[in-house]
Amino acid sequence: MSTKHSIVGKNLQKVDGFKLVTGRPAFTEDIHIPGLLYGKILPSPHAHARIKRIDTRKAKALPGVHAVLTYKDVPRVPHTTAGQSWPEPSPYDTYLLDSKLRFVGDRVAAVAAESRAIAEEALRLIEVDYEVLPAILEIEQALVEGAPVIHDEPDSKGIHDAQHNLAGYILKEIGDVEEGFRESDLAIEREFRTQRQQHCPLEPHITISWLDSDDRLVIRTSTQVPYHTRRQVAMILQIPVQRVHVVKPRIGGGFGGKQEMLLEDICGALALASRRPVKIEYTREEEFYMARSRHPQILNIKIGVKRDGTLMANKMTVLATTGAYGSHANTVQGNTGSKVLPIYRTANMRFECHVVYTNTPVAGAFRGYGCPQGYFAQESVMDEIAYTLGMDPVELRKKNMIRLGDIDELSAQLGEGRKGLPRHIRSCGLPECLERGAAAIDWVNKRQEYSVASISDRRSGGQRPPLQAPNSHLRRGVGVACSMQGSGIAGVDWAAALLKLNEDGSFNLQVGAADLGTGADTVLAQIAAETLGVTLDKMIVCSGDTDFTPFDVGAYASSTTIISGGAVKKAAEKVRDHLLRLASKMLDVPVDNLVCRDNQVVTKCECEKSVSMEDLAHYAMYKEKVQVMENASHWNTDSPPPFCAQFAEVEVDTETGHIRVIHLVTAVDLGVAINPMQAEGQSEGASAQGLGYELTEELVLDGSGRAINASFLDYKMLGAKDMPKLTTILVETDEPLGPYGAKSISEIPINAPAPAVANAVFQAIGVRFRKLPIRPEDVLRALREKELSSPQRR
Amino acid sequence: MQLQLKINGERKQWTIAPGDLLLDVLRREGYFGVKRGCETGECGACTVLVNGKPINSCLMFAAQTEGCDVLTIEGVEQDGKLDPLQEAFLEHGAVQCGYCTPGMILSAKALLAEYPDPTEAQVREALAGNFCRCTGYLKPVEAVLAAARVYRENGRKTKNENRKSQNNHRFSIFQFRSRH
Amino acid sequence: MFDHIECYYRPTTLREALLLLRKVGKRGRIVAGATDLVLQADRSTRFLIDITHLGLDYVRGSSRGCVIGATTTMGALEHSLAVRTLAGGILAKAASTCGSIQNRNMATVGGNVANASPAADTAAVLLLLDAKVVLASSRSKRKIALADFYSVPHQTVLKGSLLVEIAIPALPRGGRLGWSFQKLGRTETDISLVNAAAGMQADARGRIKWVRLALGAVGPTPLRARNAEALLVGNILSEDLLMRAGDAVMKEVSPISDSRASAEYRREMSGVLAKRALRECAAQAGVPVGSGA
Repeated sequence: MSTKHSIVGKNLQKVDGFKLVTGRPAFTEDIHIPGLLYGKILPSPHAHARIKRIDTRKAKALPGVHAVLTYKDVPRVPHTTAGQSWPEPSPYDTYLLDSKLRFVGDRVAAVAAESRAIAEEALRLIEVDYEVLPAILEIEQALVEGAPVIHDEPDSKGIHDAQHNLAGYILKEIGDVEEGFRESDLAIEREFRTQRQQHCPLEPHITISWLDSDDRLVIRTSTQVPYHTRRQVAMILQIPVQRVHVVKPRIGGGFGGKQEMLLEDICGALALASRRPVKIEYTREEEFYMARSRHPQILNIKIGVKRDGTLMANKMTVLATTGAYGSHANTVQGNTGSKVLPIYRTANMRFECHVVYTNTPVAGAFRGYGCPQGYFAQESVMDEIAYTLGMDPVELRKKNMIRLGDIDELSAQLGEGRKGLPRHIRSCGLPECLERGAAAIDWVNKRQEYSVASISDRRSGGQRPPLQAPNSHLRRGVGVACSMQGSGIAGVDWAAALLKLNEDGSFNLQVGAADLGTGADTVLAQIAAETLGVTLDKMIVCSGDTDFTPFDVGAYASSTTIISGGAVKKAAEKVRDHLLRLASKMLDVPVDNLVCRDNQVVTKCECEKSVSMEDLAHYAMYKEKVQVMENASHWNTDSPPPFCAQFAEVEVDTETGHIRVIHLVTAVDLGVAINPMQAEGQSEGASAQGLGYELTEELVLDGSGRAINASFLDYKMLGAKDMPKLTTILVETDEPLGPYGAKSISEIPINAPAPAVANAVFQAIGVRFRKLPIRPEDVLRALREKELSSPQRR
Repeated sequence: MQLQLKINGERKQWTIAPGDLLLDVLRREGYFGVKRGCETGECGACTVLVNGKPINSCLMFAAQTEGCDVLTIEGVEQDGKLDPLQEAFLEHGAVQCGYCTPGMILSAKALLAEYPDPTEAQVREALAGNFCRCTGYLKPVEAVLAAARVYRENGRKTKNENRKSQNNHRFSIFQFRSRH
Repeated sequence: MFDHIECYYRPTTLREALLLLRKVGKRGRIVAGATDLVLQADRSTRFLIDITHLGLDYVRGSSRGCVIGATTTMGALEHSLAVRTLAGGILAKAASTCGSIQNRNMATVGGNVANASPAADTAAVLLLLDAKVVLASSRSKRKIALADFYSVPHQTVLKGSLLVEIAIPALPRGGRLGWSFQKLGRTETDISLVNAAAGMQADARGRIKWVRLALGAVGPTPLRARNAEALLVGNILSEDLLMRAGDAVMKEVSPISDSRASAEYRREMSGVLAKRALRECAAQAGVPVGSGA
């Protein structure tokens, strides 16, 4: 794409690609450790209960069992499991092991044994008497007067109102929405419901922990947040931070589910108790209900516009559940407001949210982080407004969307649990995203051809557009939805990088950043290589090791390219400057006549003196006797949003209710694409998850709070045969706050496939869906109701 | 009990428990490229080729592979040289986290052994049992089609020699039929 | 999972297998494809009996019908020429929809039938084709109709015997013949929410000479929609007749609700798929669907 650089902007192969395509040992479990024990957690069978009596004697006596832990055996330290900067803006309401259980799957006890079979047998031998308590399973039940109190313990902190099961509460506004509605010619108010989506990383959560020769606790784990994990584990196990060493190998996907200190504490505790290495690995079933999932929400949104489509007021009220514990409770929901409403300019915005506890699986960070819920609601209502006004939905967006140079004030109200910073839009490719996306799906023509026609219209012989064939049970439509996100958390996310020259002209790049399959190691190496004027193969990347790499908040909030990349660029610039000074001495040429390029340092002028990086390295090490090595830290005072326009073409089978997505176009302004091929891959994967969110994915609980579809047989993701045609358009802008102009892309394409498809379905069959997922039987039911209420009947 | 089989062309004799699953035995013996994803035969991360056919090693008893030829990802590269499929996955950005990659490459290898010139639909059918949460499947499909072109250009026979196991009638040799 | 297995047997003759089965009783499980067995891991299992070395992996077509060995995989069924030419290929098609290629390379048709999962994709087709199962015990071989096999608790039927073959009798021949298999799932590799199989032959005047209709995943066992069949026989196919046949099918099924779909949806889809199957049969048979009643 970009041609002005030699490494940045190029589709270079991943630096870790070789080991991944050859299956070399690279992931957490790809290691044989002598004496390794198998750890397992005893999950609560009840959604809400107290442990009246727990007897582990038989379990402890079983040959091959080396540790059995209950709440009586471990320190009681209130904490949050959310992988966030300290002090975390999530309630400290979680305990390593507790005597109270708050969801089916909550930790009752944990064992470490010589084999999986013995561990499972040991769990069966633990005797527990429970006092079963009434449970709250539905969101609306949580706030009812007299509802059971889920967090009645005195030592939890940061809960907004524990007595009323309110984990968090947010109210932020600018202007006066009621005044705005009074000035509106049209106001549409609708309610939406979204479901529990699970990350389904192909590699479940897994942690291995052991005491090394220095009696330090090593934690080798599949995590997005090695540094937060180190801090939290130290606090929970009450050992010094310096005694904990967290190592992040390759990760088999995370998507936010691993922005969490999930198994590391209990695994570490078992390692300390047994004084043996211990591995805890979730089965796929456990991954479904004992890990994390997306926050379910009930959203009420009201948007008021003038007759010409100008937005006058935008009010969103959310009731969300965080499940049994408040991990990411305030911040996900805060995002539903701060990253959604401001995409359309209006002086009057109001966002209010209650986040409640329920006795259900715990919600946490999930790609998009509150935005998929919010955009489903907002983009559906915007579409409805467009149709009501007789306006092209794309034109309505163009009329109201945030622009280059704007300042988003709502963000200032909604930082990550603390006062945020107003957001300046210094790069904005949304207009181009809409243009190019619309062209790619042939928006104007298709919209005209697929007009809304109900089945009764068809039977009555009304005018039918050509592509909706007569007597066909298939109906087609197109829809659009826009979104924005962020790139890092302003004033909070920060990273550091260390760059060291080796004597052959290669470099060690040490970053705390966590590549979870996103290609971060590669992108960061490209930024360093570009800055140093070397080829990518000269970079050796080491990432995510708390002993050997400098600090990084970790992989979340779409921060790695812009924040970690910012640190890398700064460190590389310092190294480059040092190299130029050395070369200047070596070549006897002024520094400002030298430039790094093609693995060498060359003169700008025609005298054509040069030295290879390898020779320069020798000179530095053996003549000057200096290690060329620099580090840098970086953070931003702003979070430049990427922008995205997604267009969907669908075909609805009105006999089965099945929605087939024919084509999904994603046009995304990511700033500059450091590696366009990897960026496209991120977009395509995020889109696939967004489509699953829309059509098939939901973790279903029964009447006692138990997940009933905790397997890939029953919880359906889209597979290779289910995917529509995907078109990805990378729109490049130049973001001043990003290294080489980059912003981010890893989350944003998951935000709007759902409303894009829902809006297309509306054009196809004239029905709006406001509950996710949209299952075929929901479509059929809605079609029946529409027919019954239609004035034209046979 | 004793298990005798061929792994990646090498004869092996292992001591296993009668109820051992193939996935567990392979990983225990150091074949870490075979991944554990669901243990219910849905995700395909544990895919290996047995007598040339892709199967989910999480659902197979190790004892069932007595006398068979098994191919894992570790056996795909030849003499330190990457297979065109591996090259193509790298070239086309089809690898993100890499957890599904070994299984996908093996499924694709079996496909190309029978269908040197597959359609996109055939490729998607071949990958339908390999879940990927990272890529949305587009680049892996492109990579397989690209690798197919390389195989054809090289004129190389890509038949997996493991298919021609003599003393095992249990896996009848089959042909993919063209769907289009 | 299977940590207490004492022995893994690989009998090479049917006699040996049957003796072993009798010896181990409830503590033994049969291994063929193992795709269901591993999922149903039972900690009380002590013995595994691998029946894939008994030469039960075959498909043989003849003028008298088609016999399929019990350990024939779904993949083999899918690609067998004999199966693809049988009944318009609907058995091959049904086999091809069983999960992924990895599953089909292991799962066996005998296992599919013996485990009696109502959603088994080949079951409705086999029922449609009047298949019989051959059960071998140490004393004898019995052949019983698949419908009977399903109607009796299969522990009783299978006790001490092994399902060794599925026999499909010779099918009606001639012109104006059509067959169809339809499956509905949430995704392409999903287990059936509903499946339907149909076969039909018309006479020279376009009247339906005979028709068969079977549904799967909408009852405790796959079933023949006898009432719907009775409505259709002897008549000319029309939109109205199709609708009434679909309604009849909906009344004959007894689906359940689960996390995949509700009973109401499955019921309605049984009618939709039955109609689609009948339409496809009619199209193959060259019989137009009239618009009249």
